[in-house]
Amino acid sequence: MGEVEKVFISGLREKLIEDKVITEQDLVPEFASEIIRYGGKDVMTCLQCGNCTGVCPISLKIEYKTRTTIKYCQFGMKSHTLSTRWVCATCYRCYEHCPADLNPAELMIALRHIAVREGIVPPFVKTAASNLLRYGLTVKPDEAMLKEREQLGLPQAAITKPGWERVKKDINTIIETTKYDRLLGITNKEEGE
Amino acid sequence: MEASPETKQPEKEVIGVFVCHCGTNIGGVVNCEKVAEIASQIPGVVVSKDLKYACSDLGQEEIRKAIKEKGLNRVVVASCSPRLHEYTFKNCVEGAGLNPYFMHMVNLREQCSWVHMKEPELATGKAANLVKMGIERSRLSTALSPREVTVEPSCLIIGGGIAGIQAALDIGDKGFKTYLVEKEPSIGGHMAQLDKTFPTGDCAICILAPKMVEVARNKNVEMLSYSEVVDIQGYVGNFTVKIRKKPRYVMEEKCVGCGVCAEKCPVKVPNEFDMGFGSRKAIYVPFPQAVPLKYTIDRENCLHFKTGKCQLCVKACVNEAIDHKQEPEEIELKVGTVIVATGFDVYTPTRKGVYRYWEYKNVITALELERLINAAGPTGGHLVRPSDGVEPQRIAFIQCVGSRNLKIANKYCSRVCCMYAMKNSQIIMEHSPDAEIAIYYNDIRAFGKGFEELYHRVREDYGIEFIRGRPAKLTKDPVTENITIRAEETLLAKITEREFDLVVLSVGLIPNPGTAPVQKMLSLPVSDDGFLAESHPKLRPVETAIEGVFICGCAQGPKDIPDSVAQAKAAASAASTLMIKGKHIVEPLYANVNEELCVGCGLCAELCPYHAIEIAEKDGQSKAVVTEALCHGCGTCAAGCPQHAINQLQFTDQQLMNELTAALAAKNSAGGE
Repeated sequence: MGEVEKVFISGLREKLIEDKVITEQDLVPEFASEIIRYGGKDVMTCLQCGNCTGVCPISLKIEYKTRTTIKYCQFGMKSHTLSTRWVCATCYRCYEHCPADLNPAELMIALRHIAVREGIVPPFVKTAASNLLRYGLTVKPDEAMLKEREQLGLPQAAITKPGWERVKKDINTIIETTKYDRLLGITNKEEGE
Repeated sequence: MEASPETKQPEKEVIGVFVCHCGTNIGGVVNCEKVAEIASQIPGVVVSKDLKYACSDLGQEEIRKAIKEKGLNRVVVASCSPRLHEYTFKNCVEGAGLNPYFMHMVNLREQCSWVHMKEPELATGKAANLVKMGIERSRLSTALSPREVTVEPSCLIIGGGIAGIQAALDIGDKGFKTYLVEKEPSIGGHMAQLDKTFPTGDCAICILAPKMVEVARNKNVEMLSYSEVVDIQGYVGNFTVKIRKKPRYVMEEKCVGCGVCAEKCPVKVPNEFDMGFGSRKAIYVPFPQAVPLKYTIDRENCLHFKTGKCQLCVKACVNEAIDHKQEPEEIELKVGTVIVATGFDVYTPTRKGVYRYWEYKNVITALELERLINAAGPTGGHLVRPSDGVEPQRIAFIQCVGSRNLKIANKYCSRVCCMYAMKNSQIIMEHSPDAEIAIYYNDIRAFGKGFEELYHRVREDYGIEFIRGRPAKLTKDPVTENITIRAEETLLAKITEREFDLVVLSVGLIPNPGTAPVQKMLSLPVSDDGFLAESHPKLRPVETAIEGVFICGCAQGPKDIPDSVAQAKAAASAASTLMIKGKHIVEPLYANVNEELCVGCGLCAELCPYHAIEIAEKDGQSKAVVTEALCHGCGTCAAGCPQHAINQLQFTDQQLMNELTAALAAKNSAGGE
């Protein structure tokens, strides 16, 4: 037995013992109905033809596949699906081509809704949201950028314009009323960073 | 319980109510004992019982016994849909000596227990109300007697494909006069275009041609090729049909099919039978095995019709069969039954799609491939690709083109594409063993006899590759005109790109454009998918809502040859049943015109979807006259009549008012509860 282990299993022992089977503990059975509640109504209708993956500009470049995401959702593998759904550009090409007339892009948006409510927010989203709250813009123009604009003869960036404070205040009101800041866990305090 | 709504002659009706549990179908939701108990308190009801299965022998015996013992003259059965058991219960009460039209059915299953499964109490209340309404309505029932119509012992078959041919043979062999109408110059339909048939690989024309010849020879079958049905009037057993025989400009009785005329004809045009790949002359037979083997002049391309000069065919014909002055001929027939076998057409890929059928020469449809690999086709069975005439080595099939696609509103599966793609790849591999074939599929449907075996064979013997994924993009190499397919191989979850010499689109089946006019003439119902609707999807597969009219083959829905033949035989048998009996019982549920009220405005005649009403002169006044055998009892005229002069028997205004009053009374009392 010792010899067999040495030759065939050797260092793999730990890996082999680890279970590769997806069990019921890994699944969330109500996941599909949750997605449907958030607007991804087509999730169970998909018959996995793969047309959406074929036309997806993101699937071409990275290991994200539109079709497999839908399959994971149908299966109820919630933890697997919530982390990476922000790569979808919502270009709606999948919707344009789907022979079953489903809308995978809406499904991706539903997944984002769920992820945010579970507290899974990627840093870049947080940054953009905080910028919106603080400066009224998702991308804050920094010193270097402002300087460059000036050199190129471009008009002032919005945040330096007079009257922008009012726009910011309006945006802030909307964000506070909708509780968007609390949902994403962001504040308009700079020191929070 | 409050007193029921006013009843005209309470002393006259002796009503029996029978509430069926239908096992747990109704009884599991509705409290049937309670419903029977409530019904028993309604004036006139002398028997009110709940039965486990009213339709069973025991249940029926119970009803018959009550009729005899209590002298019932109205029976209300609260059970399932009348579509299921109305006939059963009518028979049952008739057996006890009661006119069957005194039996009224209330639907507690489809319209109550099945839709209110989660609210048993409310369902019980609704069931009681439905029964009350039924009782009130049955009070005004009248005794009716069914009428008998004679059935002309002849049959019209529309469409000369394999289904129409088979039906004509069966009916002709039974000894009934049969008219087989085909719009093309030859019978045979799409089957004549195919190369081989799946799963056995029989040559299509080799097994079809003998049947075509047989039907032409059958004494009882009159073949009307190159003809179209222009009008059908009448009703079961008595249809009057108008047929327009298009001019062939060749006298059928003189033409012997020698083909000398076509040799001399100077005009060459693409042959539609070969999907435009081969060519034919302006005087032609579509294919060598055509039946009847009579030449036809295609008026649009004939030089004589274009310039008035060319007479080459006339000079060539030794039998003097050619007559450029022929006129269309109209024939009128009387038939007892009609079989619609108008078949299918193949889907033409649209410009909206990504497969670029219109743009890329090397993307062809499966029917085009059939002609290209057919030994009798334009290439003699040698497969070449359209762009350069070279034999393709790498061939891809794309499945589900025009099927299972909501974007083009064809939701259905066409049922033949999986198998014909496999069959065609087998034929290609037999001709060129070095070819590489890939089939891009979504799901493989190999459900028929011998189908799964073919699916196994093409993988085992020929190494056909199956790629599970719907192609997303086709691109053409500008130089070689090869086609690159991008698709996700879903089983690997990888996007793949592969180059092919030829791409074949496995196009689905759509209703034949020739079906629509026939469907309108006969007022036939159409299913969701656009094909003709059968009367019942399981139990009346070849009957239609119009009595005496039957459907078979692909007119009813996409199907393969064995299924078409089986259905044709079924339709022939159903039509023969009518003709053998020679008479048919028609339900007396027709519209009845009160001539005193009728002002002859003609609105009813316009509204009637079955052309059953005419306005006729009677004693100097115009009155609506209903042809009872044509009337389907739909009630449209009764509802539309501004004078309330039309009554639908069994659905008279007073009966419906009674029912409504009971419903409203029930609602008021329910509001108080």
